[in-house]
Amino acid sequence: MTQNLSRRGLLRTLGGLALGAACVSAARASKAAVQKGLASSGAPKEYDPTKHRWQMAFDVDRCIGCGLCVEACKAENSVPENSFRTWIERYVVTKPEPGGGDNRGETFVDSPDGGIHGFPPSLIPKEEVLKSFFVPKLCNQCENSPCAQVCPVGATFEAPDGVVLVDRNYCIGCGFCIQACPYGCRFFNETTHTADKCTLCYHRITRGLRPACVEICPSGARIFGDLKNTTPDDPISQFFQKNKVEGLKPHLGTRPRTVYAGLDMEVR
Amino acid sequence: MKPFLGMPPQLTRLALTTVVIVTLFFTARTLLVPSSFGQYGHYRGDALREIAAREPYWAGRGACNDCHADHVKKVAAAEHKGLSCEDCHGPSRAHVENPEVKLPKMAFGQCVRCHEASPSRPAWLHQINSHNHYTGQGCTECHAPHQPNEVP
Repeated sequence: MTQNLSRRGLLRTLGGLALGAACVSAARASKAAVQKGLASSGAPKEYDPTKHRWQMAFDVDRCIGCGLCVEACKAENSVPENSFRTWIERYVVTKPEPGGGDNRGETFVDSPDGGIHGFPPSLIPKEEVLKSFFVPKLCNQCENSPCAQVCPVGATFEAPDGVVLVDRNYCIGCGFCIQACPYGCRFFNETTHTADKCTLCYHRITRGLRPACVEICPSGARIFGDLKNTTPDDPISQFFQKNKVEGLKPHLGTRPRTVYAGLDMEVR
Repeated sequence: MKPFLGMPPQLTRLALTTVVIVTLFFTARTLLVPSSFGQYGHYRGDALREIAAREPYWAGRGACNDCHADHVKKVAAAEHKGLSCEDCHGPSRAHVENPEVKLPKMAFGQCVRCHEASPSRPAWLHQINSHNHYTGQGCTECHAPHQPNEVP
């Protein structure tokens, strides 16, 4: 530089440098403060998500449609009214017309208030019913999640332990994921203004407890376990030994991790 | 501007601008990307800990067993072995933290929530029609909830 360094020029340069340094340190301090606030203190410290692989399974023949799981989930996760992280569907299949050549008549599905208060008697007369059963539903924790694929801000992701989660601080509430889920397992939470879904009670399973619905289910219709657990009496490995299982809507290629035993062809 | 490394001045300016933009980009990136991003994947690792930080609501069977092992053992030997204590006794976390807080008595009508007859219910479940099954009597007058099959 050939120009002489004037006093004004020197002051300007020094001032600029100081301002820049102040900005950087302020930004660093505020970032650290925000992150400290976000990483809440109550989280279990020793939990390592890479050492677990959570699995939920349903035994359809065990579900009695009492709705205690729906109630337990609502209380555990402060799920708003009219929204459900888990719910029960009642399937009623009517008899086919005699001699009509069909193996079944029509299928009716209902889920009054998600089944939270149980089910009133069905409107279809008992004589016309071929068979009827309850199917519990929740997030299928897909390995190839459509909801995670469509999220424009990357707020939904699959954790290493196999649970699909929503980062509430990043979710902008656009609702793409709610439309993308082929199982209808997501909803817009009016309280938090974010997309919401079943987390398999992440705050419970990381503490060694079972999800609220599994804990409360009186009939053993919900089976939960850790596939990375090596103990032979783990409920989930026993379940896979004893049952033939399938996931919902396998033709969509979502690879649902939640599986069902005793599923009827009408269930979607 | 004095030529730098024999470059023409317009190239020197271009090089300087590029260096400034690249530096600004990496500075902004360092400041804006959360420190836990990429810990497990293309998302914030702290999000897992934030979701896990919620306090559990239901105490769970293990908590009951700590003090009421005798009752838990009795229930585990009878028909209601699959039930959680909280199914009938209600959410017990407050009671676990402070035993002085008593749980409400079992509410009438809880039995029929599971045992009212319905064609949708599986055949293995014991079901009754509450309008013709010993009407006017409470369930617990005959059935002991912990050993429901022992009927006098």
